[in-house]
Amino acid sequence: MPPLSPAAGSLWRSLEEAARDPAFLARAAQEFPGLTASLESGMDRRQLIRLMGAALMMAAVAGCDSRFGADLVPAVRMPPNIIPALPNFYATAHVLGGYAFGVVVKHVMGRPVQVQGNPHHPASLGALDVFAQAQLLDFYDPDRAAGVSVGGEPTDRQALETALRDQRAQLAAKHGAGLRVLTGTVTSHTLRARIEALLAQYPNARWTQWEPLSRAAPRRGAVLAYGRPVDVVAHLDAVDVLVSIDADLLSTNPGRLHYARDFAGRRNPARAGSMSRVYAIESTPTLLGSVADHRIVAGPARLQQIMTALAHGLLPDPGAVSDPPPERAAWLLAMIEDLRNARGRALVHVGADQPAELHALAHRINEALGGRGKTFDVIDEVAPPAAQEQAQTLEDLSADMRDGKVAHLLILDSNPTLTAPAVWGFADALPRVPFSVALARSADETASAATWFVPQTHAWETWSDARAYDGSATILQPQALPLYGGMSAHDLLGLYLTQEPTTAEEAVQATWRLHFGADFAAGWRSALATGVVPGTASPSLDVPLLPTAGIEPLSVTVQKLTVLFRADPSLWDGRYANNPWLQELPRPLTKLVWDNPLLIAPKLAQALLLANGDLARLTVGDHSVVAPVWVMPGHAPDCVTALLGSGRRAAGSIGNGHGVDFYPLTGSADTVTLHKVPGRAALASTEHHNLLLETPAEILRHGTLAQFTADPHFAANAPTEPHLYRKEPPGPAAWGMSIDLNACIGCNACTIACQAENNIAVVGKDQVLAQREMHWLRIDRYYSGEAEAPESFFQPVMCMHCEEAPCELVCPVGATVHDAEGLNVMVYNRCVGTRFCSNNCPYKVRRFNFKGYARQQPRPPQSWNPDVTVRARGVMEKCTYCLQRIAEARIEADRDNRPVGAVQTACQNACPTQAITFGNLNDPASPVAQRKQSPLNFAMLESQGTRPRTTYEAVVRNPHPAIPATLLDESS
Amino acid sequence: MSGPAAPRSDEPVIYPEVSMASLTDRVCALALRERAPLWWWIAFVPSLALALLLVVATGYLFYAGVGIWGIDWPVMWGFAILSYVWWIAIASGGTIISALFFLMDVDWRTSINRIAESMMLFGAAAAGIYPILHLGRPWLAYWLFFYPNTMTLWAQFRSPLLWDFWALMTYVFSSVLFWYMGLIPDLASARDRATTRTRQRLYGIFACGFRGSRDQWRHHRATYGVMAAIMAPVVVSIHSIVGLDFAGGATTGWHSTEFPPFFVFGALLSGFAIVLLLVIPLRRLLALTDIMTGRHLDVLCKLLLMSSLLLTYAYLMDAFTTFYGGDRAEREMFMVRVAGAYVPVYWGAIVLNCVLPQLLWIRKLRTCVPVIVLVCLGVVVGMWLERYEIVVTSLHRPPLPSSWGNYHGTFWDWATLLGTVGLFLSGILLSVRFVPVVSMHEMRALIARRNTDKNLEGPR
Repeated sequence: MPPLSPAAGSLWRSLEEAARDPAFLARAAQEFPGLTASLESGMDRRQLIRLMGAALMMAAVAGCDSRFGADLVPAVRMPPNIIPALPNFYATAHVLGGYAFGVVVKHVMGRPVQVQGNPHHPASLGALDVFAQAQLLDFYDPDRAAGVSVGGEPTDRQALETALRDQRAQLAAKHGAGLRVLTGTVTSHTLRARIEALLAQYPNARWTQWEPLSRAAPRRGAVLAYGRPVDVVAHLDAVDVLVSIDADLLSTNPGRLHYARDFAGRRNPARAGSMSRVYAIESTPTLLGSVADHRIVAGPARLQQIMTALAHGLLPDPGAVSDPPPERAAWLLAMIEDLRNARGRALVHVGADQPAELHALAHRINEALGGRGKTFDVIDEVAPPAAQEQAQTLEDLSADMRDGKVAHLLILDSNPTLTAPAVWGFADALPRVPFSVALARSADETASAATWFVPQTHAWETWSDARAYDGSATILQPQALPLYGGMSAHDLLGLYLTQEPTTAEEAVQATWRLHFGADFAAGWRSALATGVVPGTASPSLDVPLLPTAGIEPLSVTVQKLTVLFRADPSLWDGRYANNPWLQELPRPLTKLVWDNPLLIAPKLAQALLLANGDLARLTVGDHSVVAPVWVMPGHAPDCVTALLGSGRRAAGSIGNGHGVDFYPLTGSADTVTLHKVPGRAALASTEHHNLLLETPAEILRHGTLAQFTADPHFAANAPTEPHLYRKEPPGPAAWGMSIDLNACIGCNACTIACQAENNIAVVGKDQVLAQREMHWLRIDRYYSGEAEAPESFFQPVMCMHCEEAPCELVCPVGATVHDAEGLNVMVYNRCVGTRFCSNNCPYKVRRFNFKGYARQQPRPPQSWNPDVTVRARGVMEKCTYCLQRIAEARIEADRDNRPVGAVQTACQNACPTQAITFGNLNDPASPVAQRKQSPLNFAMLESQGTRPRTTYEAVVRNPHPAIPATLLDESS
Repeated sequence: MSGPAAPRSDEPVIYPEVSMASLTDRVCALALRERAPLWWWIAFVPSLALALLLVVATGYLFYAGVGIWGIDWPVMWGFAILSYVWWIAIASGGTIISALFFLMDVDWRTSINRIAESMMLFGAAAAGIYPILHLGRPWLAYWLFFYPNTMTLWAQFRSPLLWDFWALMTYVFSSVLFWYMGLIPDLASARDRATTRTRQRLYGIFACGFRGSRDQWRHHRATYGVMAAIMAPVVVSIHSIVGLDFAGGATTGWHSTEFPPFFVFGALLSGFAIVLLLVIPLRRLLALTDIMTGRHLDVLCKLLLMSSLLLTYAYLMDAFTTFYGGDRAEREMFMVRVAGAYVPVYWGAIVLNCVLPQLLWIRKLRTCVPVIVLVCLGVVVGMWLERYEIVVTSLHRPPLPSSWGNYHGTFWDWATLLGTVGLFLSGILLSVRFVPVVSMHEMRALIARRNTDKNLEGPR
């Protein structure tokens, strides 16, 4: 150290500093770039005072935000239950469109790294959909806003509180006249209580609940049928004959995960006692239609006629039902016969996008089929709207805003500037509201147009509660301190009530104190631990069908062309547009990513000379949109499907500018036209060839129940020939997988689960166009039959872990080798990137890091799964059967000195239908070993001699013998 | 110097006027020229520019990774591999002329031997960089060596890529040695005739003290003979093993026992074509028409025709086994090959490699320079298309329709390919400028034999 000679009169804090040690200065420069400058320059009195002033100001600012200050204790001692490298799991729920799906968040060292389903939760049953799993990236989203802003200028929370104090006074004087509250669907008791308190305090205020993907039609249908708003909960496990009209049962229904489990339970004849028969009648292909026994493609108007025909065929007294019975197609008669024979075991389900009258009629038919209490139950509405006198529709709200009747608009986590129909003029009216406050996670289209933008905490950063489709309540507990600051809806609403509102935690506790009563502490703890509040599922009601139910005449308006506005399978209504996992998730049927072309029928495409990627102008009334088209096999020709949620302008750096925004066309009954316009758009699909082929049997085997009954082994591989030399892996376990193709509904839950578990990179649209997507697990979709109405099949494909793996032979450096338990392991560190393994893989399950994708991920390092290597550029990667989970099981087995136990892969974990089974083949009692005994078991591309460890159970469909499996019904 | 204005097939291999002394003087004079002629600069500057493009393309490749190329999933191999095969075939053709025909003691080989060997050398150089560039992590290429390491890791013996790596190493090293071994006496001649000190020194160093003593000639003759005897099988092995790179995989379109000979046939064809393309201008520009005569062109054209027929047989067998084997994916892939998106590639290869060379059945055309150049250029392009067909069209139709894909080269693919063309041409031009372009000592031996053996006058 240089001699200690501080400059006379200077202040110093350490010997190094006093000595002006160059090493210290360099270190300081690295750590505090500003400090060196100040160390090197002398400090005069004025500067010191300036700095002291700044420090005081910062202290004051920091002091303002004391929400979590009390909790911030440094972890001198490790918090209990956190063991380095071992995960912790905390239950909460994912709330989508108001409805809760129970989840368990996996934490490692206190950071959330994965979302899994909650087995205790009725809407999850341990599985999860893509949205809930992708919450991880939403939580870590770097585009989330960090601070309050007013008119686009950053300000602080105190300014907001001051402004709201003034507003409170003004509103109180007018009893809330001019105050409007706009939310999404609310099932949370606590939030509802706060809003109701607000409405009580300001009786002239109005509350609007707005969901772009509305469930208003089922609600109105229930009112028509039962005289009061009720929800119908289906029991698909008890349904022998299911007729679904434009069904959302497996795709957007709030009970979809539960329904999928029940549905799949009846689809494998090798296991299910008796197989159900499913008729899907639909205008645009749905997941249920893709796996149904019969897919009838029919236009929107024809759907209503079919319902009428059903009513005439099934109701004892159809006289009152609208029009005279239309002609009856042969398939329709057969289906009616089937329904009639399955009294008490049949269900007719109508999708949420169908008109209320159809729902009412379906209720009437179902009651007539005697399914009440067996195939369905009626419960109290889970998400009731505001009380009649204070409720307001968004259309009326928009009109009020336009007329200047709204003085104060509070928008809680809703984005109507994007999602409201253009004809309502919400976006234009919003600037006319003198005082508007938008609570949103990022400065989205609405928040950036409101006067005040308040950043919202993620659902993992606050307390709340929510209810599932069957009424079960879950308490949402925070998973982490807020990453970016922000407020929850509870906090913000509280500021409308008093200056010092109770915290969200106190509010939620207050709600549940009533429920748990004296035993609050124990009840609260167990509700948090299990993720469900026991005894909150709604009991079935004994409400009778109204005599007038379903006799309103169906107003069939036959239009030449209809637009069906549907949820994007990956983006929902657009709220997930900034999530790269979801943007790059191949949509189940089109396999498109990062885009939402208009889906049109092959016939329509022929008529308009349109091919995939051609641009077309879709006009509804005065509004039109130019969008690329995608020819969708199995789409009805008299309608087109517009997927909502793309084309965002203010979603964030990921979501902006992808796809087309169809919202402006919604909400109008005007004439629809579609014209080809010059130009083409590049559409990225991971299915690079949209072909209709007869799927070769060596890839995907399928047959009918009749075939299965005649010969249960109809799909089995030829018996294997004896092998000249085969080395059996010597390990104690033999890992293998069985995938039941009867259960696979193509929902992509496994793809996202795999992506989250295995740190799989997102590559972006240009790289998908270059055919370089990275998903380890892809779901192949095959069609057979005519393009107008094809049969479709899903087949999840990941590494088959071949016993005779072709990839291992050709690697010159031995980077992919076989382990003692039969796993085909990929040694990333050893890989030099010759890519021969991928060429030699008949299943093409290997993915290559053509670029440094992992480095380009828009996510912070702490969001990766710490148990899985992040792969570098130039390295091959592929499914490992979740080797890290196997390793964990091996360690546990070693520790307890017992054979290795059950292991669940991430895909298996997430699968709503339990299509995927994984485990030890050496253990005859293991589920996978038993599933492999199924007569339907077959290996893909068996003739290649690869002896894959992953095998499939062939698809068995149960069509009515008298009618074709698929057809296009064009009569109308 | 003499000889007709237009080459004729009945010309002798060497014109009688060529004597040992005049030949040595002329060839040494070419190497020892003070200034390169204008045509040399006109050819060299663009070649060097292309070679510099290779430096840029390679630099960017190392910076950004193989993602800058057009390779994708499922076509994981593209320009790098197909150009590698193309170049190695060109190089092999040179080796066959220089080694195989040396062993067969063929008179017409002698004067074009050096050109063929230079072609082999620079073809192998152009080919040799590709396997490294092709790697996802090229800095780890040395892992293919067997070297002791603390983790006791070895390369994987069963991989055809490993065989290929070793075959290529063997081939490149032995090519260089073979070329150099044949060059030593001629470098000594150049040293003796050099007039400046620098040149005397340089040629002297590379001549390794060769002074023409009887022992030196004896050792040289034996060594060269042994090397030729090694080179002939090595060249067959290198190309067979390149064929095994494909045949060793279970991949659709590759898994065929026919590939090793098929690839050797292709090597012959492209080798003869490039030798012709080099000999035709050089014999005029270097005024060597009296030792590279119409007879040479005629022989080379006949060989080219023969190899074209061999290749045609291979194509036919490829189609036959596809349908004889009865594998669905193979059949589908083959149908796409002959009638799908890459139709020009397949039929281009057929027309250029099989149909066009049939012109050479006509004796007159075998010495007609424009026709030969056209056929040879056709073969060069056709052979590249053939490799494109093998690598790309096979990979773009794997057994599962869900993984079908497409492929096209990007700017950087083309830049690398053109860059290696620049490397090859620059190398050839530099060797023409500074290295004796004809194997003088072998020519002198040939002239000595001519004086006793009347058959060497060429066909009547």
